[in-house]
Amino acid sequence: MLSTASMERILAAALSHGGDFSEIYIERTKLSSVSLLNGVVESTGSSIDCGIGIRILEGDKCVYVYSNDIYNEEKLIRMAKNASASLSEVPGGRTVYLKPVIEYTSQPCQISPSTVAKSEKVLKLRKAGETAKNYSSLITQTSAGCSDAEKEIWIANSDGLNVSDKRCRSRLIIQAIASDGNEKQTGYFGPGSGEGYEFVERYDLDEKAVEAARIASTMISAKPCPSGKMPVVIGNAFGGVIFHEACGHALEATAVGIRSSYFTDKQGLAIASPIVTAYDDAKINKEWGSYDVDDEGTPSTTNLLIKDGILNSYLVDKIGSRRMGVPSTGCARRQNYSYAPTSRMSNTFIAPGKSTKEEIIADTEYGLYATNMGGGSVDTTTGEFNFAVNEAYIIRNGKICEPVKGATLIGKGNEVLMNIDRVGNDLSLAQGVCGSASGSIPVDVGQPTIRVSEITVGGQA
Amino acid sequence: METRIRTFIDLLLKKAEEEGFVEAEVYFESDASTSVQALEGKIIQFESSDASGLSFRGLFEGQMGYSYTEDISEEMIPFLLSQAKDNCRVLEVKEKVTVYEGDKEYPEFNGFNEDLLKIGYDEMAKTALELEKKTLAYDSRIESVDDCYVVYSSGELLIVNSKGMVCESKDNELAVYVGCRAKDGEDVQTAGKSWSFTSFSDLDIDDCAKTVGKKVIDKLGAHSVPSVKSPIILDRYAARSLLAAFAGSFSADAMQKGLSRLAGRIGEKIANENITLIDEGMIGNSPHCIPFDSEGVSAKRTVLIDKGVFVSALHNRKTALVEGISSTGNGFRGGAKGSLGISPTNFHFEKGPLTQDELLAKMKDGFYITALHGLHAGVNSISGDFSLMTEGFLVKDGKITEPVNQITIADNFFDVLLKVEDLADDVDYFAFDSSHIQSPSILIPDVSVAGE
Repeated sequence: MLSTASMERILAAALSHGGDFSEIYIERTKLSSVSLLNGVVESTGSSIDCGIGIRILEGDKCVYVYSNDIYNEEKLIRMAKNASASLSEVPGGRTVYLKPVIEYTSQPCQISPSTVAKSEKVLKLRKAGETAKNYSSLITQTSAGCSDAEKEIWIANSDGLNVSDKRCRSRLIIQAIASDGNEKQTGYFGPGSGEGYEFVERYDLDEKAVEAARIASTMISAKPCPSGKMPVVIGNAFGGVIFHEACGHALEATAVGIRSSYFTDKQGLAIASPIVTAYDDAKINKEWGSYDVDDEGTPSTTNLLIKDGILNSYLVDKIGSRRMGVPSTGCARRQNYSYAPTSRMSNTFIAPGKSTKEEIIADTEYGLYATNMGGGSVDTTTGEFNFAVNEAYIIRNGKICEPVKGATLIGKGNEVLMNIDRVGNDLSLAQGVCGSASGSIPVDVGQPTIRVSEITVGGQA
Repeated sequence: METRIRTFIDLLLKKAEEEGFVEAEVYFESDASTSVQALEGKIIQFESSDASGLSFRGLFEGQMGYSYTEDISEEMIPFLLSQAKDNCRVLEVKEKVTVYEGDKEYPEFNGFNEDLLKIGYDEMAKTALELEKKTLAYDSRIESVDDCYVVYSSGELLIVNSKGMVCESKDNELAVYVGCRAKDGEDVQTAGKSWSFTSFSDLDIDDCAKTVGKKVIDKLGAHSVPSVKSPIILDRYAARSLLAAFAGSFSADAMQKGLSRLAGRIGEKIANENITLIDEGMIGNSPHCIPFDSEGVSAKRTVLIDKGVFVSALHNRKTALVEGISSTGNGFRGGAKGSLGISPTNFHFEKGPLTQDELLAKMKDGFYITALHGLHAGVNSISGDFSLMTEGFLVKDGKITEPVNQITIADNFFDVLLKVEDLADDVDYFAFDSSHIQSPSILIPDVSVAGE
């Protein structure tokens, strides 16, 4: 690790020609993974990622340089000086003094994953794979995996900020594939936590294996989904991906700060139906998307995004704060040292309402029940989004009827939020990986069961 | 390659032998890049990087174990060897995997253009600012160029193993991305495009600005349509993104694991007679030439579908061994950190006989689709089913008319292969394009289009 004095010299070098703020982010991450296909250990890996990123700001202009050479102070000073020179030709410069380091442990681990033998992880995965396989004769393949990351970061900046953080994350994957001649359907779960191996030890993966196998075998006999506009009931947990894509991304300063988002200038105005309240909460204990301090060294917050349909707050990082004239909400994140941080989500969810799931379905004459969502994407300028549905049923006369496959939901974020006409009381979170400007980061999505009065469903029928 | 790296690799291979690895290989990758972003007449972001990673793999107790580090210092050698060994102890791969002794000859490859080195920060900044200005100037309805990047990148690759194989390559390129938004009343549309160049003189700023400007203006006024079964033309960008989404089905690894519908179907007709699909490592002056794969197997030309008949899958050395044939040179890692899998190189449908206008005339009425969205989620890569948000234009009487959006198209990739009615001749393998997967425009009858 670089000494405090080295960091001070690099931060000063970064301001030698121009810039009003400099920052160093150093990372060392131990990663390990193992995966089984049909009960056979097919691949496993162990790696060390390490590097340093140096960022200089001048107003809202950003210069970012990075390297793996974290021990070579001379080279890092040269890089910092060159980066600074891209801002101005006029030699300036100042001295930087760092405060004593504040040590955070955002995600403590009781059992460090790197101390656990892979063979032990394999036992658990093999059992889950067998459980899925034994569910039905339709299940022809299973895969199961376990991956973990132990990340240590150090952040220092020219304002004197000096923090370190330890983050440990573990994730399990179970997938079942059902086959019926040419047709193949999959069921999948990827639970994760901001914890060490204790999460893997405690977690009931067999239960998810049964669920995955049930989805795959149900969908194999499903008919193609009908298409057109209809009411859609979206299941809880991973169903929250719709809010993440259709609303969350458009609330990020990355889009709002340059006025490209459709939510620009909407603070204090109604952007959703009055029954919608939503949060981005990085402070949920041990959650997959949580952290105590963000990647700019700002303490994390519980950010109330929407209150009773009214836009309350955006997701703002340091550059966004400069562009928008509001304080940072502690949401600057990055995949690793090779990305400059930017405004991102953590654990984003719609707060629970009053209806039960059963009431919402009973109250729907005809529509689609999208119980398990796949991924999706959004254009934060036009609001257009698309999601895949992994498990869906037709609702007829308030009853869940036949399963349908191959459904896609499309629409515009701003319209869909206004069209949410039921919010259930069964809030649940699910873990995923969100890819955007600063790389792929762990996030939670979540919601109770909700109903959207009208949404375009794409299907083959 | 830096001598420090060669010295490290030689020491690592020597220690691996001492530690009881029967065979060993080191894969080292180093990338450097510089990028500038222009917004509102200013350079708002400048990035520069220099990153490298080293992967070790070794054969121990019959298994090939991997480990990886970005910290390339002697103290990391025990970590690399012990982790690879631990990984060998838990692996249960049945096939015998070995490192390759190398080919006698490799294609000549010159992917590094010294001229590109001369482009400094000032030139890149000037280019980005001009690109932004010219895109804005294309039409007064263009409100902003939200993404305007110029990126220079270079990479070096070195594979050295205990069988004496040394494969080394070096390349560089200049990439440009322009994304903009246009507004007409309440109607907001976005469009973007990326290019990659191996020479600075190939970059035509006016052309880039015009292409993106036209693309976004053409989308203004786009609307949804009622659901219908209709013929569609996927233009070459939409067609190649569909091909890319299902490229994994042609991997022998997916077939051997029962994860591809093409398993066991070599010799069968899987596509219409007008379809020929080729994978070609070295293709003229394409900016995506690859002289050897991650195992050191030299580039090949593989016909996968020959006039509708499935003749070959994509192989690495492991899958080839299982079937008693030679690797097709498609053993690639997803970066130094990834373990060895199978990926296509320059992968493309052969062009058809018709011009684009003739293809439109042949369809008469339908949709001309210019982009597919949500390909990471809306496809079932095993069954071939897809349901994707899309955009494009209505075609009436063989002519492109008004723009459409907020619609989806749904079908099955394997059914599409069989029913492609015709292909245009507009594929360009040598375009300054950012993709190594290419296709001409294709006409598909009877596709489910869902809208209002």
